[in-house]
Formats: sequence, C-alpha cells, structure tokens
Amino acid sequence: MLAITTPYLWYTSRATGMVAMILFTLVVTLGTFVANRIGGTIVGRFEINELHRSLSIVAIVFLGLHILTTVVDSYVSTGLISAFIPMTSSYKRVPVALGAVAFDLILAVWVSSLLKLRIKNQTWRFIHWFSWLGVTTSLVHGFLTGSDARHGFGLILVGLCTLAVVSAALWRFLGRPARAAGRTALSPLAAAPAPRLNPKLTPSGPRRPGVPTSSGPFPRNPRPPQSKARR
Amino acid sequence: MIDATALPRLLHGPSGRPLTLEQHEALFVSQTPAQSIAAELQASGLTGRGGAAFPTWRKAEFIAGQRGHNKFMVVNAMEGEPGSHKDRTLLSANPHLVLDGAEILASLIGAKHIAICVARDNPTVVNHLKRAVHERERRSLRGPKLELHTPPWRYVAGEESALVHWLDDNESLPQYRAHRPHVLRISHNPAMVDNTETCANVGLIARFGADWFRKLGTAESPGTALVSLTGAVANQAVVEVPLGTPISTILARANADPRPQALLLGGYGGSWISGQHVDTPYANEFLRPLGATVGAGIMVVLPRSACGLVETQRIVQWMANESARQCGPCAFGLPSLAEDLTHLVRTTRDAEAVLRRLHERCGLIEGRGACHHPDGVVQLVRSALKVFADDLRQHMSGAPCAPSRSNQHVVKVPTLEHEEEQMWE
Amino acid sequence: MGVRRKSGGFVLKVNPILCDGYGHCAELAPDLVRTDEWGYPIVVAVPVPLSNLGALASARYAVRGCPRKAMHIERVADES
Repeated sequence: MLAITTPYLWYTSRATGMVAMILFTLVVTLGTFVANRIGGTIVGRFEINELHRSLSIVAIVFLGLHILTTVVDSYVSTGLISAFIPMTSSYKRVPVALGAVAFDLILAVWVSSLLKLRIKNQTWRFIHWFSWLGVTTSLVHGFLTGSDARHGFGLILVGLCTLAVVSAALWRFLGRPARAAGRTALSPLAAAPAPRLNPKLTPSGPRRPGVPTSSGPFPRNPRPPQSKARR
Repeated sequence: MIDATALPRLLHGPSGRPLTLEQHEALFVSQTPAQSIAAELQASGLTGRGGAAFPTWRKAEFIAGQRGHNKFMVVNAMEGEPGSHKDRTLLSANPHLVLDGAEILASLIGAKHIAICVARDNPTVVNHLKRAVHERERRSLRGPKLELHTPPWRYVAGEESALVHWLDDNESLPQYRAHRPHVLRISHNPAMVDNTETCANVGLIARFGADWFRKLGTAESPGTALVSLTGAVANQAVVEVPLGTPISTILARANADPRPQALLLGGYGGSWISGQHVDTPYANEFLRPLGATVGAGIMVVLPRSACGLVETQRIVQWMANESARQCGPCAFGLPSLAEDLTHLVRTTRDAEAVLRRLHERCGLIEGRGACHHPDGVVQLVRSALKVFADDLRQHMSGAPCAPSRSNQHVVKVPTLEHEEEQMWE
Repeated sequence: MGVRRKSGGFVLKVNPILCDGYGHCAELAPDLVRTDEWGYPIVVAVPVPLSNLGALASARYAVRGCPRKAMHIERVADES
C-alpha cells in the first residue's frame, strides 16, 4: 500500500471530510424534501430529486477522497481495512470505527440506489432508511475525529449540520405525507390465526336449488385484524 | 348418467351431508367422451363463472402453452362477495365434482399441484373439503397433489392475482399486470385460477361430453349457472338455472319479490338494472345491452320499499373500506365516491355540483387500479345513478324517499367491526 | 441527413401499486401526464407515435425521474 507522509494529505483529508459532511447533510435534507413532496411551484419536485441524486454522487466523491487521503497518509496508521471494518484502527479506534460504520451504511444506500431497478421497491426503501443512521454516525465521527471540529468555525459547522439533520429527521418522521392508511397487507403476522376446525360440525346451508337455506347469506365473516404497519 | 335436461346438475344428489367419494362416483357414472377432453371443453363453450366469463378452454390452452415444471391449478372458492354463497353451497353439496374438474384442468395444463382456496372464516366448508381431500388421498397416490389453503377473508382476497399472491408470498394483495394476458406465477411456476363452479362444470363436461352440456343454456352461454339470491327473498337461496332463463322465473323459484324495484347483478362491483327488465333472459348476451353481466352469479333483489341510492351508498362505503389501499386512485378515489354519494343522499346543499363531481370522479378512477376493484365500484355507482335517476332527483330537491330515512336496509353489508377502519366518516 | 422514420408508437404506463403520487412525472412529461386531485398520475392512454421524439424524450425523463420507478414505456406496433 502506498504510504506517503506529507502535511498536505492531512489537510486534504480534513478539508474533504468537512465538505463531505456538508454535502451529506444537504443530500439528506433534499431527500426529505422529496419524500415530503416539497416543490412544484418555484422549483420543480423533479429538480429537487435530481439535485438530491447528483449531490449524493458529489458527496461520495468527496468521501472517497477523504478516505483515500487518510489511508494513504502514513503519519497515522489507518489502513484500508479500517475504512470498512470498524475497530481495526490503532489510531483513535472508536472515532475511526464510527467513520467506518458510516461509510458502510452510505455504501449500502448508494449501491442499493444503483440497483434500484433490479431490487424490490421495499428492499430499496428499507436500505434507504439507513442513510439517517449513516449521516448521524458520520456527524459523530466528524465531531470526535475532526481536528477542526472542537472549536471555532469547525464547531459551528458541525453544529449547523447536526441541527439540519435533526430537524430534517423530525420533519420526515412527524410530517410525512398522508398516504391513505398504509397498505392493508394480509401478512401472516397480521392475519388472524386459522380457526380450529371441528370435524364434528354438521353441514349446514342449502343442498338443493330452491330449498331455502337455514343459514343466512353469509354465515360468519369475522374480519381479520388489519395490519397497521406502514410499508 | 344424469338426464341432460334435468335440473339440478351441479347440485345433483340427495340433500343432507356432502356426497362421499363412493356416493359421488355411483351417482355420476363416468362415460367415455367422444373426443379428447380438451376438444370436449372447447366444444362445450364453457365460460368462467367467477365474473369475467372468459372461455375456460382458451385459458387452459394458454397456460398449457407456458413453460414450467411445477404448474399450479388454483380453485378459487374464496367468495369475497358478501352477496354470494354459491361456492359454499356447491362445496357443501358435492365437493368431489369440483375436485374432479380441478384434476381434469390440472391434467390439461400439466399442473403438479392443485391448490383449493377457501376463506378460513368458513370452517364448515373447510371441513367438507378436508374430508373430501382425505378420501381422495386414500384412494390413490398418483396425480397432482391436492392442497387445501385457507387465506383470510377479504373482498379483494378472492381476486385471482391476490389469491396467487397469497399462495406465493402470503399476502392477499392484488398484483400489477403490465400486459394481458398475464401469467400469474407461484414461485415462478405458471398458475391457472378457476372458480369453483367452473371446475364443477368441467367435471360434468369431462363425464358427459359437450353435447350433453349444451342441452341446457343458450348457444352463446351454454350450461347452467348457480345464482345466489339475497335481498327481498323469502329465504336466501342458491338456485341452479339454465343460462337464458328469464329473471322472473329465477325470482319465482327462490320465492323472491316478483316485482322488485331493481336488481343488482354480478356482485357488489356489478350493475343495477331496473325492475322492469325482469323478463330479460339471464345470460350475458341479453344483459350486456342493459349494462349488466351475470358476473359471479349474484342477484340482490331490491324491493319497492327500499331506497336504491341509500343501498348503493352503503355498498360503496363498504367497498371503499375493502380496498387494499395499494393504488392511489382506489385508496383515495373510492372513499371520495362514497362521500359524494352520502352527500347526495343526505343533504341538498350544492347537490348539482356534487353530482357533477361524482360523475367526474367516476371517469377519473376507472381503469387506474391494478385490479378491477375500483372499476367495479364505478360501474355500480354509474348504474345506480341511471337506474335510480328519479329517486336521485327527489333526494336532490329535498324530498328524500321514506325508506332512506329508516334504518331498515336490504343489502347485506358486513359490519365494519374495527373503529380504525371507519376512517372516512 | 434525414431522420429515420420509426413506425409504431409507445404508451407510458404506470404501475399503480408502486406509484405513491410524487408527481415528478407530471412535471417531466406534462404533455403525457397530468395529476388527479390526489396527486396520482393520469397518463395519456392512446399510443403516441415514436416519430414524436419530443414526447418520447419526456416520457424517458419521466421513467428515469420517478422516485418509485413505477413507470415504463411500452412499445405498440402500428395498426395500419
């Protein structure tokens, strides 16, 4: 593995990390805009969506640079493995581990979006929820690891990003658009257990045309409890 | 052999308990048909009895032409329609006839599995079927495997794609079909879904042949049909009649109101026809000009003492609640239809505007769901607005008819048991 | 250089189960899609000739821009 040590790598790492943090905050906020159906008058909804998609690519490029420069810089011994697998770095073990977790989550979201046409919509949605975890972990990682995040401008930036992500999250979860009532899936979990069958039950109901039935048109139709799970 | 013109055909046999396999075989003595069974089926012109009236032989031929080693034959006995009780009647009278037909269809398409689907809320029928399947399993080990499935009851759970979805993935939700004809699949294997009554008819055709089958019914709609009557009927009944029998005869056989105000045909997603058409023959080719079809063999008799608009409103409200809420136009559209109808029935304020909006919304919703659930409701609303036009004018002018003010209702609508389901009140 | 005339047409189709009424398609292909009062798309049902390149391009944008990937373009053969 290439290992160089020069302060410029460290500077690049710090700078790209910061930019990536800002960009991911923006991406998540824009994603909330899309999900909450914002836009349509001044800015089109599709434009927000396009911005969300393109900015995410830019953010991933910056994230890649951030990781690459950190790995290449031999001043701190953070190997390539540490970028993916948490708790493998000897330097700042826990904070770097958080960064690795965030990277993995963001990677999962990105890959699932690339495969969006191939995978089930529910799977994609489920994986996309990870972006909240990813961005939260990355903010914590930035605060704990960042050389600039403890004071002055850096601290303000981290604070603003955290504020933006928290408010976006609250808005996303509290103010989600009204969908009819979720889908009334009859999943095995939601459905009532099958009634125990009594083999001694005597048959009832009409046998022959014209012969009136003893029972009504629908003897019993208890409805299964409805699934309230939103999907 | 049963006499070709004798009735009943499908419900033939002594009343009481469902026929055992021995009784069934003694009663329906098998005859070797003149041609192959596929040819007999084609010659018989049997159409599906579940509602769509699609030629059964064509469906079988289509599925037979599909690749797949583990095809499924699905018998749909879900009876999602609250007004229907023909499937449980048939299965309580002679389950083996249905299973015969299912086995024949399975052999035609090359299916390895037969899945019989009954709503689990119907323990009596489930027990009859269990016994019948058990009797058959003791008889032989060859042939396709019989499986009994009991999905929960819901209106849309009986829709064929929802049923296949249940068998495939335990979710009773209709599926989107981009192209038609579309092959429904259970774990990648093609599945054919046929109604109980269709299967029983196939069982008869395979025994006695197409000529025998065509002795009753009209040239276009041969055979007999089971009609479930509810509403102004002395006792709710299922009658078996040859297709093409005048509706008045059917009413007479069921001891129903001979001069009804209107009739709901086809199901809760069917059409109202005026009571003056009571002499129309009961077959699709005669009912289509009136905008109705035989559908799933449901006939709701509306007496003159009832208000058709109020009944329609109740049905639409219930149907809106039965939507699977998968598609926006259905999930949002049907409740708004119900709302508009309630408005029209109860108040006169802005009645003209609401009526116009109702017509508009009907046009908007039609054909935009994954299944035909919304289309059926639109058809019901449209036919109600046409058939009960006079009542509607009265309601809109502020003089609603007397029955609409009482709480006595004719059409059976399952009660909404759960609070949270009445979200559109 | 002449534009090669393509025969046949296309229909923009929505999978109503996947659709959640984001409304992006109506913005991207306003000549093919409008929304109903609940925000769900109503798509032009008659086939549009493939020679209408503008409409085809906007249909492709709508397919690509759908957050639910609920749309697809279906080719229809010419009847004449």
